[in-house]
Amino acid sequence: MSDDIRFEEEEFTTQFNGGTLLRILQLVRPYWHWVLGFLVSIGLVSIIEAYFNILSMRMIDEGILANNRNRLEQLLVEYGFLQFLLVVFVFIFIYLCGVLGQRVMYDMRKKMFNHMQSLSFSYFDRTPVGWLMSRVTSDSERIADLVTWGMLDITWAVLNICTALFFMATINWQLTLIVMLMLPVLLYVAIWFKQKILVEFRESRKINSQITGAFNENITGVRVVKALRREEKNLEEFDGLTRGMYRSSFRAAWLSALFLPVVQIISAAGVMIVVWYGGLQVGHSITIGGIQAFVSYITFMMWPVQDLARVYAHMQQAVASAERVFSLMDTKPEITDRKGAKDPGTIRGTIEFENVDFYYEKNKPVLQNFNLKVNPGETIALVGPTGHGKSTIVNLICRFYEPRSGIIKINGQDYTTMPMHAIHSRIGMVLQTPHLFSGTIKENIRYGRLDATDEDVIQAAKLAGAHDFIMELENNYDEQVGEGGVLLSVGQKQLISLARAILSDPEVLIMDEATSSVDTLTEALIQQGMDNLMQGRTSFVIAHRLSTIKKADRIVVIENGQITEMGTHQELLRHKGHYYQLYTQQFRQELSEKLERELKDDTSNTQPMSA
Amino acid sequence: MTLTTTFDMKQTVSDNRLLGLYRMMTGFRLYYIGAIASLTIATLARTLSLLLIGWLVDDLLSPVPQLPDFTALTHLNLPHVEVIHSAVPELLPWVALGFLVLAVFQGAFSYLSGRWASHTAESVAWRLKNYLFDHIQRLTFTYHDRMQTGELLQRVTSDVDAIRRFYVEQGVGIGRILIMFSINMAAIVYLNATLALLSVLVIPVLIVVSLYFFHRIGNKYEEFQEQDARLSTALQENLSGVRVVKAFARQQYEADKFEQVNWQKFLRGKELLVLNAVYWPITDLLTGAQMVLSFLFAGFMALDGQITVGDFIAYAGMVTAIINPMRQLGRLIVDAARGLGSYARVSDIIQQIQEPLDEQKPAPVEHIRGDIVFKDVNFAYVENELVLKNITFDVKAGQVVALLGATGSGKTSLVNLLPRFYEYTSGSITIDGVELRDFPKSFLRKNIGIVEQEPFLFSRTIRENITYGVTRDVTDEEVYEVARAAAVHDVIMQFPEGYQTLVGERGVTLSGGQKQRIVLARTLLKNPSILILDDATSSVDTETEAAIREALRRLMKNRTSFVIAHRVTTLMHADLILVMDHGRIVQMGTHQQLLAQDGIYRRTFEMQSRIDEELEKELSHVG
Repeated sequence: MSDDIRFEEEEFTTQFNGGTLLRILQLVRPYWHWVLGFLVSIGLVSIIEAYFNILSMRMIDEGILANNRNRLEQLLVEYGFLQFLLVVFVFIFIYLCGVLGQRVMYDMRKKMFNHMQSLSFSYFDRTPVGWLMSRVTSDSERIADLVTWGMLDITWAVLNICTALFFMATINWQLTLIVMLMLPVLLYVAIWFKQKILVEFRESRKINSQITGAFNENITGVRVVKALRREEKNLEEFDGLTRGMYRSSFRAAWLSALFLPVVQIISAAGVMIVVWYGGLQVGHSITIGGIQAFVSYITFMMWPVQDLARVYAHMQQAVASAERVFSLMDTKPEITDRKGAKDPGTIRGTIEFENVDFYYEKNKPVLQNFNLKVNPGETIALVGPTGHGKSTIVNLICRFYEPRSGIIKINGQDYTTMPMHAIHSRIGMVLQTPHLFSGTIKENIRYGRLDATDEDVIQAAKLAGAHDFIMELENNYDEQVGEGGVLLSVGQKQLISLARAILSDPEVLIMDEATSSVDTLTEALIQQGMDNLMQGRTSFVIAHRLSTIKKADRIVVIENGQITEMGTHQELLRHKGHYYQLYTQQFRQELSEKLERELKDDTSNTQPMSA
Repeated sequence: MTLTTTFDMKQTVSDNRLLGLYRMMTGFRLYYIGAIASLTIATLARTLSLLLIGWLVDDLLSPVPQLPDFTALTHLNLPHVEVIHSAVPELLPWVALGFLVLAVFQGAFSYLSGRWASHTAESVAWRLKNYLFDHIQRLTFTYHDRMQTGELLQRVTSDVDAIRRFYVEQGVGIGRILIMFSINMAAIVYLNATLALLSVLVIPVLIVVSLYFFHRIGNKYEEFQEQDARLSTALQENLSGVRVVKAFARQQYEADKFEQVNWQKFLRGKELLVLNAVYWPITDLLTGAQMVLSFLFAGFMALDGQITVGDFIAYAGMVTAIINPMRQLGRLIVDAARGLGSYARVSDIIQQIQEPLDEQKPAPVEHIRGDIVFKDVNFAYVENELVLKNITFDVKAGQVVALLGATGSGKTSLVNLLPRFYEYTSGSITIDGVELRDFPKSFLRKNIGIVEQEPFLFSRTIRENITYGVTRDVTDEEVYEVARAAAVHDVIMQFPEGYQTLVGERGVTLSGGQKQRIVLARTLLKNPSILILDDATSSVDTETEAAIREALRRLMKNRTSFVIAHRVTTLMHADLILVMDHGRIVQMGTHQQLLAQDGIYRRTFEMQSRIDEELEKELSHVG
């Protein structure tokens, strides 16, 4: 999350970058006819709107003042007709521009998502999920807004100002010159305001998320707050946040409230000049309707100016968003298929680490000169303290990472000469914290093999020992598991992830055994499921439970990136080294847990003694 | 001190939501009234400048002189009104100035209106947030047990924001439309009554259409938001499950799945846009029709001499000011209805009763020694469902009481009574001879330290977390001392930022054992007379268990302590062991006494000793 905050702050420092702007425009290139469509219609809208003032001028001058009833009627018919046209164009531009915006967002999300699927593991280890999320959601929205509504607003504003100036010039060019002098002032003031407002607005949004955080913590931690009698101090601190929120949002609000009046007064100064100067000219070079038209043009001028300022202020933000999105799209996956990689058709056979070195960060070696040869069908239990290299070995086998030096061979062949898909699709993985996707149980199991029939799914669930509990659920295999599987217990999730792995029928199996305790029955089921899964497959198990470890063909004790002990359970116990210690400790713990559980069952069956 | 302390939010509760929202403005009402008044003045100024244009046209510029009627304008303080005809060129600068003055008026007052309205809204929101924050931490445990965090959070954030917007957007917005309507309407009536009637023909239709559309747009918008949430979920799941995706090589499948939600969102967005693309042109058409109609009649009236040319020009401006804002009315009303709903939800929280902490009474003793007596104590969370039955025991100051029993046997309920998190239903509990109910909660909680099963730390620095339980200033040395005693000082010093390291999402992730020891340090610093350890070692890995045990021993010294645990080894040194089952004490005594009886305790103990035998047997197989 801290990264997220840091990245958000970048927005303020990003400068304009023409290249990025150009690249943003590229996003709508496939839809150039849509863009053309809305630009033309907004252009026409803009011109018609500006022309309306001319029409009312003529109504006054040629109709009313000239006492010409027919002319007035004609002009009104023209007005009505144009109004109708306007309506049609308004429909067209809202539709085209809005739908295009949604489409551009859709395209960007799709591209980003697909690109992310190809990125290497190391990228996800480095990049917080929140950061990626906001690229796909909020940033893409900002960019799409700029390239549609932003472009529309600019076009409308520029055209509106230009046509207005043109029509004004046809009425009286001297007055038009005065108005043109006024424009830069208006624009400058407008942009100044909009940027100030945006800064305050961002500040208040930032504080707002802090306020939500404070509320969240105070609600979830309410017991501790009460137990520690912290209420007054908490409120005092919270008041600091809400006070800040008040300040920045009030400032944003009054700046906005000041903005229009200031612009209006500048326009009014223009109106004043027109009335004064124009009034003297009446009868000579300007008509009454002409003055009226001028006044309307000037008072209306503030709207396009305000739009330009707004788009300008948001453009900076959108460009910053675009830079982040493009940087994501430009990230190259670190591990890719080598040229001429060939799928060997199977990865059954020996797996060999030869002098493998590996590190995540350059000066923190994880594996050094690591050697291990595993025979086909063998079950290897990886044992050792957390953070000493067990997961790294597994990540390397899966080729989520590649060795920094040394090679890993599958069936005697360097695995970097194979395509990634050849390896990934034949390795099954069961993770410590099983990750399920929202959807039904059936869908989650079928994730292992997409073309599996319902019978296959049920068969796999039976082998995994999941079938019975599934049948007890209300909707059986169609039961929803909730987001991330929240509706199921940890044990149930593990059973389903086993079924998923069984269904995928992998050639090599990787298992990271769960440490969290589940009830006795479920544990026995999981154990049975694991045994079924490992049958006849080369398996690597990051093992925590003694029963699993004891069943392994070979136990590999890993400490500080090295193999310190290796052998069967019996051999290692006789050796009385690290494994011996680990085993006795684990044995005590497991047994005492088991006994306590028995006791608990025992006591809850006992009837309370009468006092 | 803070805004909250001066105002009791309970006064704002009302079944009439509008009345409730009105009461919530207490203290800022004058600002709000000022805002509405300013809005009126600004609108008036705008309408007057329209009339001024008309007057300018008719009497200063018109080639055909007409009868002046300026009675309505004299209060504008425009000088020399009576000499217009003779001094047209000299008057022009004054009229021009008049425009500027009116514009300044209009600008100044619309600024004031915006400023005061937002001051009201932001202040009300500020006070309300503070109130809710404080209120929530003072509500009873029973309330928190029953309320979902997510829902509560939703109410105190989104709903409060909706209330804020009610004042500043919908309240002022609807006010503006009504004021613009009344003032401009009055001005048109003043110009010509028939014309006035013709000018509003389309308004009823406009209101109905906009209400209809915004109702539908609102619904569609919610659907769109739901799909947006689905997209976020899909993305989130994919990113956090990236291992599974890669392990099964399911990139294409994931892409297809995402494609579906993404496409659905596109479609929803499109539907929403179509509604908008239909709505705005329709209202354009309606207003356009009204304008044509108005111009037609006004034009003919001008031709027939019923109104002047100046009237016609002024009229054109006023009609626009009446009709255009009406298009927003539907949206404002729909949003305002949502704001009222938010008020009801927030008001529901406000109505909850806080637990009194000080109860307006002094502490009966100055210092708690810690002699505690339970006598026939019964307790039920829900009426008639006793979770504690006839609890009777007593403990001397400084002794250790251990509680053993299955989950749900009542151990935690028992210790929760001591800080008066919940009130016992009947019986008596005394501390140092004084009935528990006679102690103010505030005093009790300051003197009782609790270490919970799952340690809770706040997203602050480690130092702030350790000092969280005390209000006085604490020296660094004191903090180090308790951290050392809790065996966590060395761990903290390993972090690059030491005691200033942030805990949680934005900082370091601590292991269960580390968190537990920081909580111990926090409790040590608080230095309570009575200590409650609720299964304090269960979330700890074996490597640190010894360190924590030692820290716990230091903590319990000289304090009356209640220890809940599962392992006999943790309990056996206690001065008194209570074995609980189904809300009753089924066995009571010291380790030796309980071992001599047949019962749960002895069975538990016997199992522990079996472990060593089993291990012995296991290892002998290896030979």
